Amino acid sequence: MLDLLAYDFIQRSLLAAALVGALCSTIGVFVVLRGLAFMGAGTAHAAFAGVALGYLMGWPPLLMAMLFGLATVWITGWVEEKGRMKLDVSIGILYTATMALAILFIGLMKTYNAEVYGYLFGNVLAVTSEELGIITGLSIVVIGAIVLFSKELYFIAFDQEMAEASGVPARRIFFLLLTLVALTVVISLKTVGAILVFAMILIPASTAYQLTHSLSTLTWYSVLIGITCSVGGVLISSYWDIPSGPAIVLLATLLFFVAVIFSPKRQRRSLALG
Amino acid sequence: MAGQSLPIIHFDHATFGFPGVVALEDISLEIQSGEFVGVIGPNGSGKTTLCRAVLGLMAPLKGHLRIFDCACDELRCHHRARIGYLPQKGVVDRNFPVTVLETVMMGRYGALGLFTRPSGKDLKIALNALAHVGMEGHRESALGHLSGGQQQRVFIARALAQQPDVLLLDEPTTGLDITTQHSVVELVQHLHEELGLTVLLITHDINMIRSRVDRLVLLKTRLYAAGPPADVLKPDILSQVYGKDLVITENDLVIVEDYHHHH
Repeated sequence: MLDLLAYDFIQRSLLAAALVGALCSTIGVFVVLRGLAFMGAGTAHAAFAGVALGYLMGWPPLLMAMLFGLATVWITGWVEEKGRMKLDVSIGILYTATMALAILFIGLMKTYNAEVYGYLFGNVLAVTSEELGIITGLSIVVIGAIVLFSKELYFIAFDQEMAEASGVPARRIFFLLLTLVALTVVISLKTVGAILVFAMILIPASTAYQLTHSLSTLTWYSVLIGITCSVGGVLISSYWDIPSGPAIVLLATLLFFVAVIFSPKRQRRSLALG
Repeated sequence: MAGQSLPIIHFDHATFGFPGVVALEDISLEIQSGEFVGVIGPNGSGKTTLCRAVLGLMAPLKGHLRIFDCACDELRCHHRARIGYLPQKGVVDRNFPVTVLETVMMGRYGALGLFTRPSGKDLKIALNALAHVGMEGHRESALGHLSGGQQQRVFIARALAQQPDVLLLDEPTTGLDITTQHSVVELVQHLHEELGLTVLLITHDINMIRSRVDRLVLLKTRLYAAGPPADVLKPDILSQVYGKDLVITENDLVIVEDYHHHH
């Protein structure tokens, strides 16, 4: 397996996977705690519609993905804030509407475009140096913002109203969180794809959630699990020649079930019931 | 208890609500620094609206509200960190991964402002707040593993960690057993006396607080009465607000029909 590391494209994909793993698992902590799990899925599909429109019109696909992703999270955030309808309903509507748009845009293309499908399923082994540069730059921006506003993000994840009442600008921080979720999805599209990015946001944080009662420990565990699964998944994928996205996500899922079985929380509940 | 200085909270003919729905109407009320005020009233009487107004989360539709030196007419309030708030007891997710100390440290975040990391000084303040509520031995415990009464103590410590001038408690005893209710209210009274905090305690439980507060405020959309408990808890005023005849016995306030039934 070690001789694989000599290849440039393997080095690039390992670095991209580690970055995306760290990024998704960090933002995932706040997504899971704030109850925005479904938002990740909705944003991913909206971003894919952006990619499809980009290819259809000859516009930059990643920029279009970003616009579609941001529009989706801001609209759903606004709807939640106004209390007009439940969040899962509004995301459900946007999720399916943007997927319909994606199918429409693909249908309008005169020829089969394999690159579009690359964004749907992801292929970390095909990441170019230029794309790695974009992933690195955007990852620094998103992780920097999370570090800078971590105390406020933790507080609104715990109790947004209490945070607002304590003088934290909770509403602005909530929209910052939504924006970071959208950026994370866009950054991860090329590596894990629109369908699987949601899993990378959700699973490492949910796995860490099984293992600790401390917010800070949860975040470190989540990042560690995210990087391990992404890098491990790429190595498995290149060694056994299987698609990288599923390798990463299935490894993460396996770890999740191991954590559920050995969770101290679960054992505590069993003791309490017994 | 009431000083001669300017009141720290001043409602001046203030009306709150949403377009078409009035939750509180024409409220005029002054609260002085260092007072212990109980706010009572039936369900839907506007107690929680009063709470949100004091927190600066709701601007008056009519009239004025001033808190400290901040006119809260346009929701550009900078006083929130000076009010330690204990929200109505929600059901804490027993698996929410937060320790007692992490919860109390959140009390520092509003006062610190954006971009500032908590320092050793903030940690000391949080530990001191935990000591005030008698929970210093639980700093590393999971919040979800504590009893309801212990969780309320932790949330009170979180409010204290803000180093507030005012402690605002929204039904702090709801959902607790009777012994724990007493210990929570005793703790609040102790903090009021020891730290000189102005306390606004919103409750349904008149009996629990009437011997402890300086003043009672009785709401039912309008302000029906405000003053020392003996002046507010008069059968004629209470029956107007609660719609039943109430009588004050030596120790308790009871509904007349129940009183006759038992005597």
